Parts: sequence; structure tokens; C-alpha cells
Amino acid sequence: MSPGTTVRLIAAREVRQRLRSKLFVGTTLVISALLTVLAALPALLGVFDPDEPAVDQPAEEADLPRLGVVGAMSVAERSAIEAAIGPIEVVEVADVDAGAAALTSATNDLVAVVGPGERVLVAPSGQLLRPGSVAATRVAEALALGELFSEEPDRVGEVLARPSLPVEEVGDVDPAEATARLVVANLGVVFLFAVLIMYASMIINGVIEEKGSRVVELLVATVPVRWLMTGKLLGLGIVGLLQTLTLFAPPLAVLLLPAGEAIPRGVGGLGVAIAGWFVAGYALYAVIAAGLGSLVSRPEEAQAVLTPANVLMIGGYLVGFLAINAPSSTFAVVASFVPFSAPYAMLVRQALAAPAWWEVAAAAALTLSSAAALTVGAARIYEGGILRTGARVRLREAWRAG
Amino acid sequence: MLVLEQLQRRFGDVIALDRLDLEVVAGELCGFVGPNGAGKTTAMRCAVGVTTPDAGTVAWEGRAVDLEVRRRIGYMPEERGLYPRMRVAEQLVYLARLHGLRSAEAAANVEFWLDRLGLTARRDSPVEELSLGNQQRVQLAAALVHDPVLLILDEPFSGLDPIAVDVMSEVLLERAAAGVAVVFSSHQLDLVEDLCRSVAVVDAGRVVLRGDVRELKRAGDRRLRVAVDGDPGWVAALPVDTEVVARVNGEVTVALGAEADPGEVIELARAGGPLLHVRLEEPRLSELFRDALQDRLPR
Repeated sequence: MSPGTTVRLIAAREVRQRLRSKLFVGTTLVISALLTVLAALPALLGVFDPDEPAVDQPAEEADLPRLGVVGAMSVAERSAIEAAIGPIEVVEVADVDAGAAALTSATNDLVAVVGPGERVLVAPSGQLLRPGSVAATRVAEALALGELFSEEPDRVGEVLARPSLPVEEVGDVDPAEATARLVVANLGVVFLFAVLIMYASMIINGVIEEKGSRVVELLVATVPVRWLMTGKLLGLGIVGLLQTLTLFAPPLAVLLLPAGEAIPRGVGGLGVAIAGWFVAGYALYAVIAAGLGSLVSRPEEAQAVLTPANVLMIGGYLVGFLAINAPSSTFAVVASFVPFSAPYAMLVRQALAAPAWWEVAAAAALTLSSAAALTVGAARIYEGGILRTGARVRLREAWRAG
Repeated sequence: MLVLEQLQRRFGDVIALDRLDLEVVAGELCGFVGPNGAGKTTAMRCAVGVTTPDAGTVAWEGRAVDLEVRRRIGYMPEERGLYPRMRVAEQLVYLARLHGLRSAEAAANVEFWLDRLGLTARRDSPVEELSLGNQQRVQLAAALVHDPVLLILDEPFSGLDPIAVDVMSEVLLERAAAGVAVVFSSHQLDLVEDLCRSVAVVDAGRVVLRGDVRELKRAGDRRLRVAVDGDPGWVAALPVDTEVVARVNGEVTVALGAEADPGEVIELARAGGPLLHVRLEEPRLSELFRDALQDRLPR
């Protein structure tokens, strides 16, 4: 019988046993239902009402974004900008600094200061219009296109409306999307922490159950210890992924229903990121939990021996929350490549800072290769500790015996 | 044939196995006995691959015991182990499949052994809901469900009631008769003597006595059991090559060496008083066991 078949048998048993637990299944379904209701609430309460005025969808004159202009702005330029982002109110300012000072009080000000000979975009208000944001990019592009289509300002709007334009990829100018992404980042970090803690605990209890009930001696007489550990981790990982999907697929479906088209684009894709980082985080922490679990024989010792893994998980969780406050900071970028914090920090960056795809891929590769390296060490500890019952086995002893 | 050759295993400062040798042929039912800490469990764990010896080899039919061979071994650990919340039949099918049986074959074998061991009515019960005796039967079924060619059972009779002992004994005899090599450890020496064709006595990590039970008994010091109605001081005059090995309720058991004359001992006993009874027997296995360990056991 091949290793794959053996590992599959072991994994299948783990899946069957967990899914047979009425408490486990019932709790998961109840939480999923609650999350679904929570996801539906904003739409029900009109938080994401598509008719609500937004930056590029002004409804009243008083809410028009104001554009600071140094010197004169041609009609063609103004038409191009309005074609791109909607009606604006032009405010003449003496210079860039004056424009920035004058236009930073209102949240919907577009502080694009247009001067003769050069066009400078500044974004002191930060949130709504910063360099690289959708609105800023659109204004810049509109000004550039305005020269080209000076006789046909409507063409500017047509061109900028094409989805293939880079402006579509920039990010978070829409306050509704920004809010949604912030919520997803917060919930994602909390969720990752909760499930990783829960599954680390589930793994360690599973290992202790086999060790405490002595069935492991029967198993290792016919199954190599490493296959046994791999099967257990795979099985519980599948259960975890199923649970993640059960918890999050229904609320995401509600968010992405046609009726909820006003839900910001890209937020739904973060569900995939959460699932992906669960897999990577699970791979990393699960092997540690399995190795540590083999050192003890009684459930009451589980939390004590799991402390090092818990410290790492709590550390990653805190890093994730710090990254939420500054998703583009050096701290967040570095943390998103450190394996133990990457699941949290990169998820936050994906939600709030639009990292390049290769950054996400590199962080995932680093996390998974660290998990693979840890698997070798954890398997050795598992091998050295799993058959020794009674008093807690010291890590060094297990390492030597493995 | 199972061959354990020059097995050595040390745990820290403790020498568990000290060049232990043992051979068990197909169809043999071998009792593996020894005092606590003699190395029985370690030797059995080495035989099934659970423990790796520091030195020495384990072979089955001339082939090192690798994973392929281990799948054909039925093993019962000293400390019983099953998934407590898993249902009986499902657990046995799972274990059979881990030993390489296909699904249908595993299911058929499980039904056979459930029926044979009287567990059919409990096939869908979680193991933890079974009585200890029934859990032992499930444990035996777990060792047998994949049709092993070699059975290694560590204290299989421990904790069994007399009926369960009978069932276990029948099954072991059946398996041996079917050509399976069976090794089991036990402290119940009378049971081993009644059941086994051969025995290996282990002490301090080495086999100190090995052979056919009947031949060992024939070759061992005969026992003369004598009771007299009078002064027991006659034993002080026992000739050389004899030894008092027990005194129970006035009966004295004298081990007779190869050169000893039972008639001479009986004459001595009569000097102490009228004979109440006298019996000349081959030694029991427990007596051979004590003889083999005489330097280490309290008299």
C-alpha cells in the first residue's frame, strides 16, 4: 500500500470523526448563520445604497468636489475632468501650498492644483485623494487626455470608463469600498487567529487522544510515524478548510448577490485570500502543534505545552492589527514576509494596500517552505515523543529519541 | 520463522535488551515469560518495529522486518489502545485497511471476527461504551483482522475473566494450528504451561531458558513432594544434589538433581514421622522459571 493511500485513510478517518460530532457541525452552522445575517445587515440597512452620493457621484451642488487651480483652467481641461470624475467646483488659488491649505477641510475636496506649465497633484487630505488613488489618477489622466480630446471632452469620459485602464486597479478611493476592506481586514485577522488557535488545539488534543488511549502503538506498528502525523494534519486541515468555507461562503454570497452590486469590487476576492492564508497559516502552526502534542499524554497538559505555538500565533495576530493602522508601512511590508506573521500581515495588505501579486506569492512561498522545514523537525519530535507516556517528555529528549 | 538476533536496546542507563536471541517458527505457540523489567515488552516492540534496537536484527522468513512484513504482523500492545469514541466495526475496518486489506476484504474479515468473538451485537457501539472484557476482545480482533502470519501479543490474558481466557486460548491455538507463529508474554505461568508448545524465559534482557515445554520439564529437576506426621527437621539431612524449594502446609517440595535418589529422600522423611503422602513429579513451568532465575529471585 502506497504512502498516499495510507495518509488518505488516516486523513479520511479524521474528517469522518470530526464531521460526526454534532457539537462541531452544529456550532459551525450556527456561527455561519450569524455571520450571514451580519453580512446581510448593511444591505438591509442601506449602508451600501448605490444611490447614496459618493465622491464621483455628486448629487447636490453643495457636495461637489472642489478642485484648486493655480492660474487659468481651460474649458477643455475642466470638461475632461468632469467627464472623468463628474461635476466639480473650481476654486482659484494662488499656489500649491495655498491650494492645499484652502482645500483640505472638506472630505470631498479634490486638491488637484493645476498650474501653468506644470500640473501638480497634491493630496494633503489623504484619504480621498492621495497620489495614486483612483480620483487623483483620474484627474491626472483627464488632464492629459483633455489636450488630446480638446474638441471632444466627452471622449475623455468614454476612454476613462474602460475597465482595462490601470486606474481600475489603483484601489480605495470609494469610501464604501475602503470601509468594507477595513472591516474585512479586521475580521480576517480575528478569524485567522481564532481558527488557527482552534485547530492547533484540535490537533494537539487529537495527538494526545491517540497517545493517551495508546492506540498509537497499534498504529505505528504498521504505519510509519511521519505518515501518521501527515495524515492527521491533512485530515484536520481539510476539516478546517471545510469549516472556513462553511463559515464564510454564505455571508460572502450574500454580499455578492446581484442585489448587492453596490458592494465594493474586490472585497469578495478577499474571501479567497482569507481561505488561502488559513491554509498557509495552518500548515505552519499545525506541524508545531503536532510536534508539541507528542510530548504530553494528558489533555490538561495540552495548553501548557502549546504555549510556544500560542505565543507565535498571538504575536502574529498583534502584528496583523498593527499593520491595519499602517498597511503600507515598512513594518507591515516586512511583517508580511516573516512566516509567522505573514498570514495576518499580508492579508491586511491585500485588503488595504494592494501589494503586487509577486509579493503575495513570495510571502506564501516563504510561509509554506517554512512549514515544510518545520515539518521535518516536528516529525522527529513526534517520532521521539509519541510512544512515551506518563510524565511530560522534554523537547531535547524527544529530539534525541526521534 | 521469526528471528530476533543479538538484540540490544538501552534506555539511558537501563539496559533493556542485552544480546537477546529468539526464534519462533510458523505454527509455534511460544510463551514469552520473565519477571517485570526483564525486557519482554521491549523485545516485542522491536519485533513489530515500534522500537528500533540499538543493535541486532529482526527477520521474518529470512527477510528484515520492513513495513511490508509489519503489515502482516498482528500486534497487541501491553497497554491496550483503541480509539475510544470510534465504533467497533468501523475501527476494525480502519485498522484492517491500514494493514493493506481492500475495503470489501476488510469488511468481511471484521464480520467474521466479530461473530467469532461474540461482538456482533456491539458492532456499532463506540469502544468506550463496551465492558473491559469486550474491549479486550475488540483488541484481539484488531490483532487478527488482517489475517496475520505472525502474532505478537503482550500480556493478552491480563485482566481477562475465566471465560474470556478460554476464548483467547482457543483462538491462539486455532491460529497456531493454522500455521501462524504466535508469541505472547504472560505472568500466568500455569496458563503458558498448559497452552504453549514452547517457552522462552527472559531475564535482564536475555533469554535464559528456551525450548519445548515438555522437554524442558523432562530435563528439569524432578520434584518430590512429601508430607510426614512428625518433626520436619529431617530435611536438614538431605543429601547433596537435592534442595528444598517449598514448604506449604506441612508439605515439603524437594528438587532432585540428576544424580539424586528419591528413595533416599523418602527414607529420610520417614525418620521424621509416618508418611502422610508422597508424590514424584516433573517440575512445573513456574518452578523451571524460578530455577532459571534462581540467582535473582528471593526464595
